[in-house]
Amino acid sequence: MNPFWSMSTGSVRKRADAEEKTLSGELRTSPLRASAKKQLPSIPKNAVPITKPASPATSSQSTNGTHASYGPFYLEYSLLAEFTLVVKQKLPGVYVQPSYRSALMWFGVIFIRHGLYQDGVFKFTVYIPDNYPDGDCPRLVFDLPVFHPLVDPLSGELDVKRAFAKWRRNHNHIWQVLMYARRVFYKIDTTSPLNPEAAVLYEKDIQLFKSKVVDSVKLCSSHLFDQPKIEDPYAIIFSPWNPAIHDEAREKMLTQKKKPDDQHCKSMHVSGLSWVKPGSVQPFSKEEKTMPT
Amino acid sequence: MERMSWLSKLTPRAGGQRAPRSASLQPPVTADPETCLMVFKNHWAQVLRILERRGSKPAPDDLSAVRNNTYQMLNLLAEDRPRGDGDRSQGNGEMACGPILEFVASENLLERLLCWHLQGDFTEERKVEQLKLYEMLISQARQPLLRHKAVLTPLLRLLSVCAEPASALLENSLVLLLNQLCVSVAREPAILELFFHSHTDQGPANLIIFSLLIPFIHHEGARGQQARDALLLIMAMSASNRAVAQSITDNSYFCPVLATGLSALYSSLPRKIEVRGDDWHFLRREDWIGVSSLVLFMNSLEFCNAVIQVAHPLVQKQLVDYVHNGFLVPVMGPALHKTSVEEMIASTAYLDLFLRSVSETALLKTFLRFVLLHRHDNATILDTLVGRINSNSRLCMVSLSLFRTLLSLNCEDVMLQLVLRYLLPCSHVMLSQKRAVRDLDIYGKTAAKFLSLIPRCCRPESPPPPPDRDEEPPARARAHGSPGADAPPAPKPSTPSRLSFFMRQASSVPPEAAAPRSPGPPAGSPPWPGSRDEVAELDRNYLEYLRDARRSIDRCAWACRVWSAPYDGEDPRAPGPPPDPESSPGRPPGPPTPRTKKRGLPEEGVREVPGGPLGGDEPSVGGSGPDPQDGGTLVNGAHVATELRRPEGNVVVKKVRRSPQGEGEGGGGAPNGAPQAQPPGWEPLPSVDSLLEELLARAPTEPPGTGVSIEAFTEELREIEAEMRNGGVGGPPAAPPEPPEPPLPREEEEAFASFAALPEGDMGAGRAPPRPPDPLAQVVASPPRAVGPPPSQPFTGPFVSVLFGKLENMPHNSLYVNFLLTGLVAQLACYPQPLLRSFLLNTNMVFQPSVKSLLQVLGSVKNKIESFAASQEDFPALLFKAKKYLIARGRLDWSEGPGATPALRRSDTLARSRKPSLGELLLRHANSPTRARHAAQLAMQGLRDGGLHPLPPLATPARHGEALRVRNAVYCAVIFSEFLKELAAIAQAHAVTSPFLTE
Repeated sequence: MNPFWSMSTGSVRKRADAEEKTLSGELRTSPLRASAKKQLPSIPKNAVPITKPASPATSSQSTNGTHASYGPFYLEYSLLAEFTLVVKQKLPGVYVQPSYRSALMWFGVIFIRHGLYQDGVFKFTVYIPDNYPDGDCPRLVFDLPVFHPLVDPLSGELDVKRAFAKWRRNHNHIWQVLMYARRVFYKIDTTSPLNPEAAVLYEKDIQLFKSKVVDSVKLCSSHLFDQPKIEDPYAIIFSPWNPAIHDEAREKMLTQKKKPDDQHCKSMHVSGLSWVKPGSVQPFSKEEKTMPT
Repeated sequence: MERMSWLSKLTPRAGGQRAPRSASLQPPVTADPETCLMVFKNHWAQVLRILERRGSKPAPDDLSAVRNNTYQMLNLLAEDRPRGDGDRSQGNGEMACGPILEFVASENLLERLLCWHLQGDFTEERKVEQLKLYEMLISQARQPLLRHKAVLTPLLRLLSVCAEPASALLENSLVLLLNQLCVSVAREPAILELFFHSHTDQGPANLIIFSLLIPFIHHEGARGQQARDALLLIMAMSASNRAVAQSITDNSYFCPVLATGLSALYSSLPRKIEVRGDDWHFLRREDWIGVSSLVLFMNSLEFCNAVIQVAHPLVQKQLVDYVHNGFLVPVMGPALHKTSVEEMIASTAYLDLFLRSVSETALLKTFLRFVLLHRHDNATILDTLVGRINSNSRLCMVSLSLFRTLLSLNCEDVMLQLVLRYLLPCSHVMLSQKRAVRDLDIYGKTAAKFLSLIPRCCRPESPPPPPDRDEEPPARARAHGSPGADAPPAPKPSTPSRLSFFMRQASSVPPEAAAPRSPGPPAGSPPWPGSRDEVAELDRNYLEYLRDARRSIDRCAWACRVWSAPYDGEDPRAPGPPPDPESSPGRPPGPPTPRTKKRGLPEEGVREVPGGPLGGDEPSVGGSGPDPQDGGTLVNGAHVATELRRPEGNVVVKKVRRSPQGEGEGGGGAPNGAPQAQPPGWEPLPSVDSLLEELLARAPTEPPGTGVSIEAFTEELREIEAEMRNGGVGGPPAAPPEPPEPPLPREEEEAFASFAALPEGDMGAGRAPPRPPDPLAQVVASPPRAVGPPPSQPFTGPFVSVLFGKLENMPHNSLYVNFLLTGLVAQLACYPQPLLRSFLLNTNMVFQPSVKSLLQVLGSVKNKIESFAASQEDFPALLFKAKKYLIARGRLDWSEGPGATPALRRSDTLARSRKPSLGELLLRHANSPTRARHAAQLAMQGLRDGGLHPLPPLATPARHGEALRVRNAVYCAVIFSEFLKELAAIAQAHAVTSPFLTE
């Protein structure tokens, strides 16, 4: 079930995107589904990170009033809803997948298709604070410190805070962080950089900056097939193209493109009914089909 | 041609299989064709001798001689093979007839034989004989016979002779032959042409098949089945042959007979359904399979369904029209309006059964069109049915079942008429809120609100760990729940965290550890041996509700993708005038100043708004201190009176609503903020049946006109309250101070800017609570409405109104009514259309003052339950027993496995719509009256053995009412709590619906 990624054409990737997101959506819930009837959910033993926030949340109730009623159910569903929003956004070249162990940790990868960072493939991890949505903005850390003014050269952390000085519930969403992360590679911002060297080079010696970027992109690509930094069943793993596995999967994606409904069709062959003419609010306003002669 | 050759290849094999049969009747014909022909001619010669002996009446000997010889001859004819049988596989479909057939044709042998029979005394016995012979001939022939006039003409003539009604024996043979004919025709459609061209003295030949078969359409037993099968074959052929279709529609009585036959069969259905248990509410297969008249009807209905499935659109349309005009309108309509309650129950249950059984869209459409649009006595069937929800409990249950069926269709037209058209104008929300219609609550605030409405007396005693927040001993709960008490101790807004406790604990702590409850049961209550665990299960089933909710919503969203519009407040636009464009002179001049009022229950508000201006009686209840007043008039009044609905039901309803009597009718609307120990609604009720009359009787006691002032007063209160909240402690979480603009250059990508720079922009799904609207904008927005009375009183429709009214009355409803009722509301809440979703589930939405929200209704139920619990000494014990009893019922049913469900055509849908949660466990159970009763007895037995009655015994009539009242209220407490969890789960699941389902 591990996701695979291939460096093939855009159309394939795009489809992979959608597929992947659906897939992960399914997977996310599977631990719950496994639970037997009338039994407590069999949450995997190692599912700590999700579980953990419960206690801090509970303990912080007294101090933080607005946070009082967010049990883990709400937290988990909020994150699920956030993920649904990400899926709806269809951000080009950005893929994320919540980890198996915690809904608060999302794995992701960005494909840069134009500009200085063209061909860059940057893996990253999003860390969502456990008091979400009332806490700080999520952190986004690249697996490898990309050479970029806003990326910490040591930790690889992207300066997200500058875009989300204060995280506002209802207003800020995780897809925005992802969009921001993508955007910084197209619109370079050098003010108050985390990587002053990159900032200075960008201002003073663009050529050198460019070559450093190219090196950085190459470095990232050379580590693409490394084991994921964080071990997790849902971690994003790249592997070299393996026709035995990937050809078939690619074929499947391409053929399913026409009728993406199939997956759902199988599980739900219910269909509603409607005889309402579009734009009308009268029942049975749709014209009868003309009688074949 | 290809088909023909395939068939002719098939035929010999089939003949071979039949060999044993012919062998037993007749020495096997193994000889070569020439010999056979000689034998045949020999027989014929003998027959001919008799045939030519004209004038005199045939002697008995002659008869038997002819019979024997004919028998031999036809057997030979059947065995006759076309010439060149061996090498005809080369696609040359045309083959010569066999020698015997050739001879038969040249002699016109069959015709002459028949003539001879007809001349004499053609008794029924002889007819049967002939029919059987032909049946044998056609079914066993090794070459196509019907295309030969020499066979077809006498056959048709024979049939026309048999057209008169006759004995069962003759009819059996006739139908069998006709069936065989249809099979042959279906195999070789070309024959059909011949049927068209051959005429008999009875008109075109094809009509004969119909006219002979049609009388048997509605017959029971094998005969009817064969006739229907035969007809269905022809119908299937009509699909690809317009001429056939046209002759069916233009020249036969097929459709009218079929449709009006339904009417005849309907009229023989039982007028009264023998009811076996008080939980019976709909007809399952087991129920009707033993009722022969109903079986007959269902067979015919199924046949209609099948015909529509296979027939040509012409036939389809004609049949559907006849079903509408020949059955639904003249028969079903009046039946549904019979005056006797028993008949209403029966007809409603029948209609529900029919709707569940029909699977063909075209037929379903005609049923739905009838229900939605047909007016009987000036009221649409739908309005009548909606009104019946308000009636006594059995009729109510049957009606609720019917609506469950209707909602499960996911039909846009149904939903439009029931609910959506009333919500389309958006007049139920404050102007400023229109945009919030599409908002999704992604942080679970709505769920928290619903869960916080679980009455304190029903909350599980807290588990050990957080010692400071352990149980509210029942005694304490009672004390605080009593009327006029000081501000209640802030009920923990904590159900969620409690749930989370259960949920999380499971992974670390064995379940038993969670079960033991701290200190004892209230004084005086007996110990409950060994059953705490299972009862405690109810406290932990939230995950299941979540899962079910997800599934239901996904399925509903998926089904609704065929709808014409999203119903998101913008598409479709409301039609010109709203559904009931009546001005409302009764309202105070000038609309309420719309402002963002947290009329919903502030989830944290309990602590943050300690004792509001309204005496703080229960600020956590839907923020609804004053609400039951106005809301009660709207909701409850509306449909108590709708039994007598006029066509302009809305108008009537509105009048009722605005008239002050609604106040008293509230039936439970009585409790305003401060629950009294014995609110009027709690008078013992002899039966739910009488509730209606009681309420009606009480209605006119209040002077006219008060409603207006109360409404105005309410509104004032609400505004004050809202101001308090907005400016008050904590403030709504929805209104965070605008943060400084993010330090991002404006010239960035528009997409990014869209969220970073335009905080008020359409963030779409993510924004749960509405921001407080700019007051200035409000002022600007208001003026058009400020002049004169508002154009219309917002009204969310009779269906919602009657459901809410019934919901508000939950503590008085029977257990089963409450199951069905809550199930129906939950079903409604699963619909993904933003208009409906926001109306039911967006607790931050600000509605017009006259519009009652689900949250308010539930808040009022909560109050009632709590005040009941406070007044009932042994409530905790009763509650425990009720839970135990309900679980026992459910468990028993589960043990029978899901396979036990009836196999109606739509049953898979229905089965899937059932939920393993408590409510549905019981519902499932209730689906089976006998099993339910059995289970109930078992459970009762068990409890009695332990010295406990699950319910107060129904002793004397005097005590009966009291017992019923207590029983209903206690069960209601259980159901209500489960229902809130279900709603909370649905609210949560809406936020995570996969975009792939709706896109």
